Amino acid sequence: MSTPTIEKSEPSPKDDAKTSRLWGRPAFFQSYEQELALFNTWPKRAGVALVVLVAFFMPFSLPDATLRSLALAFVLAIAALGLNLVTGLCGQVSLGHAFFMGIGAYTAAALSGDSDPEARTIGFGLQEIWIWLPAAGLVAALFGVIVAPIATRLRGLYLAIVTLGLVFLGEHVFREWQRLTGGAGVGRSAADPVLFGYDLRSPAPDGAFTSDQQMYFLMLVLLLVFALAARNIARSKVGRSFAAVRDRDMAAEMMGIDLPRTKTLAFALSSFYAGCAGALLFTITDYVEPGSFNLLLSVQIIAMVLIGGAGTVGGTIAGAIFIGMLPTLVRDIAPSIRFEVWGRVLEFSELPSEVPNIFQVEQILYGLLIVLFLLFEPRGLFGIWVRTRTYWKSWPFSY
Amino acid sequence: MKVHKTGIALAVLALVASGCRGGDDEGGSSAIDAPGVTDEPCENAVNEDNGCIYLGTISDLSAGPFAALGGPITEAQAAFWQRVNEDGGIGGYDVDVTSYVKDNLYNPETHATLYAEIEPDVLALAQTLGSPTTLAILEKMKSQNVIGAPASWTSLWGFEDNILESGSSYCVEAMNAIDYLQEQGGVETVMAIGFPGDYGGDGAAGAEIAAEAIGAEFVDFVETAPGQEAQSAAISAVVSQAPDVVVLGVGPTETAVIVGQAAARGYTGRFVGLSPTWNPALLQSEAAPALEALFTHAGPWGSFGTETDGHAAMREALPDVDPNDGYTSGWAWSYPLKAALEAWLDGDYAKTREGLVEAVNELESVDFEGMLPEEAGDRTGDNDIFTQSVISEVDPAAPAGLTTVQDFTAGPTASAHEFTGACFEG
Repeated sequence: MSTPTIEKSEPSPKDDAKTSRLWGRPAFFQSYEQELALFNTWPKRAGVALVVLVAFFMPFSLPDATLRSLALAFVLAIAALGLNLVTGLCGQVSLGHAFFMGIGAYTAAALSGDSDPEARTIGFGLQEIWIWLPAAGLVAALFGVIVAPIATRLRGLYLAIVTLGLVFLGEHVFREWQRLTGGAGVGRSAADPVLFGYDLRSPAPDGAFTSDQQMYFLMLVLLLVFALAARNIARSKVGRSFAAVRDRDMAAEMMGIDLPRTKTLAFALSSFYAGCAGALLFTITDYVEPGSFNLLLSVQIIAMVLIGGAGTVGGTIAGAIFIGMLPTLVRDIAPSIRFEVWGRVLEFSELPSEVPNIFQVEQILYGLLIVLFLLFEPRGLFGIWVRTRTYWKSWPFSY
Repeated sequence: MKVHKTGIALAVLALVASGCRGGDDEGGSSAIDAPGVTDEPCENAVNEDNGCIYLGTISDLSAGPFAALGGPITEAQAAFWQRVNEDGGIGGYDVDVTSYVKDNLYNPETHATLYAEIEPDVLALAQTLGSPTTLAILEKMKSQNVIGAPASWTSLWGFEDNILESGSSYCVEAMNAIDYLQEQGGVETVMAIGFPGDYGGDGAAGAEIAAEAIGAEFVDFVETAPGQEAQSAAISAVVSQAPDVVVLGVGPTETAVIVGQAAARGYTGRFVGLSPTWNPALLQSEAAPALEALFTHAGPWGSFGTETDGHAAMREALPDVDPNDGYTSGWAWSYPLKAALEAWLDGDYAKTREGLVEAVNELESVDFEGMLPEEAGDRTGDNDIFTQSVISEVDPAAPAGLTTVQDFTAGPTASAHEFTGACFEG
């Protein structure tokens, strides 16, 4: 009785080239697989692991208010990742992101809403997050596909105008459809973040976690999932065809890329992200008013992509967290700033009824940051990072 | 083994990290186990020996339709609690209503966000302005046992344990005003114009019930959005259908636009404005003559210049202000909260938020210093809905532009109506 022994075959030189790396030469790739790997150098892998680790431990050291802002920034990052797919990667300017976020928000709110027929707004009582979150994404994606045939016929400024129209159409429908949205000035409860019967918005029964800590973890995990997916889309065949369309659509078509199909896919994927983000955006404070899905929201998301660095996942997330945390930062810093202008003391009030106030500072900063980044750092935060990295990589010969 | 090591390292890191997060950032109180109550004196304390109770305020202070009222309401409440503190505070505590003041822009979503922001730091809400806005946080208030004095009068508050309402609701105001106008000389058709949601809707519901009760026809409820430019549909509806009475559930700006332009286009019927429609500044607007001729105000209590102890105390506490019924309302709304805090601290209640909710719902009367009858503060009965309201007319000579023409009265409709739930149900 002898068991057949399987001889280990020697790895062929070709396989070896795919997997082995040269020590001390992180940028030397021996195959496409290596170059297109999720993390193609070990410092990247270590860096991302460190950031994720720090992110998971933050709830244990930061106050709840900051965690709430961060959780909101993570959701906005998911939305920005979606816009990054269609605008940053595929080159199709879209101002309509708020529309798709609205679709997602109301799909989720309706699914998770009170199913009592006497209730003021439509509801189906499906509170589980794994039901309403994908559903919100899918319905938004469906609208993306419906819009796509128009969008694929246009590009540049014309596409921007058409998608701008979407925001206004959406806002009108949201304001008027009272059974679904509660109507303008009234609003409705947002989706309930319930996971297997456990409501993440209520503090843990033994007091181990506050609701803000739980929501932070939820948003962090979801952001990681969506970011990983976005990165994988970007390095797949689909992602590369997006980039080809962005760089020169005619050339892409000549190479055999089906333009309408690619653009439709870009819109569908982007809308899926937007829908999911919209569904999550208002779960933290639990209330959504139809006026929220306006042009300003779209512009905010565009600012995140532009300031972060169009076409990159890491940059987009950095941009979203930066813009998402901007109100918190301004509110923390601005009240302590005092100017003396011509003998008059200038302070920033925390009340919007007084001038100048911190809300004005916030609005001005949005505009100023977009302009400054486009002028001086068109590659965004990611560009700054790449330059810093290159500087240190080639140190002491950085010039 | 390697995994094992990593696991241990992670566990250690978690333990170290969780130790970093500080416990209570507030000083806390030894006697009371509720957020927003400290043993340390308030900032700018009147009584340095007292502890401090922090109350939050979410009002409409800048860009919303009720900004002209929100500012005075907030100011009057600061003066009210200052007076309470000067009298020694409540049960060894001063009350601070100025540290957590937020602006909701009359947007329910903003309101909910601000509530989440201040809730951990306050015991209760000294003011939550608006009906749809307060409705947006009501479920959270209930689950967190937070009570609040509303700055709105929707009839739903009469059925909510966490809302410390004062005075009659919009629904009752509309009923009483229509009954009053019926007595004055026959009402055959009634229309309502209002903001969407529980403010406009509640007034319209009351108008419809009253119209039915007096045998008049309720022709229409026109929903209108806030903003001067958004009123053309409402104005056309008034002019084309020419009802005898139009009940307005809008803001002061919209009131001026609707009344002024409807009059300019030949409408000669009667406008009834619910409490938040009036701002004496309207007497300086182009609509002033139309308002003087056509406008009747239905309010929960007497205007700024009324002679009661409460009104006098308010005028004394706010000596240099332009008279405005925002002040009157802010002052009057604070009495039940004061009574509740007194009952809670002096009585045999758990010294927690739950105990405060319990104290609120066992209040049998509230001393409004004459601004309202004491029984208006009764929250114990099966039918504790207060049905008396005050009717006023425009009088440029009066301090806040309104003179009472009918003091506290419950009309036949409101007296006969059985209030089993909110008039407006969405």
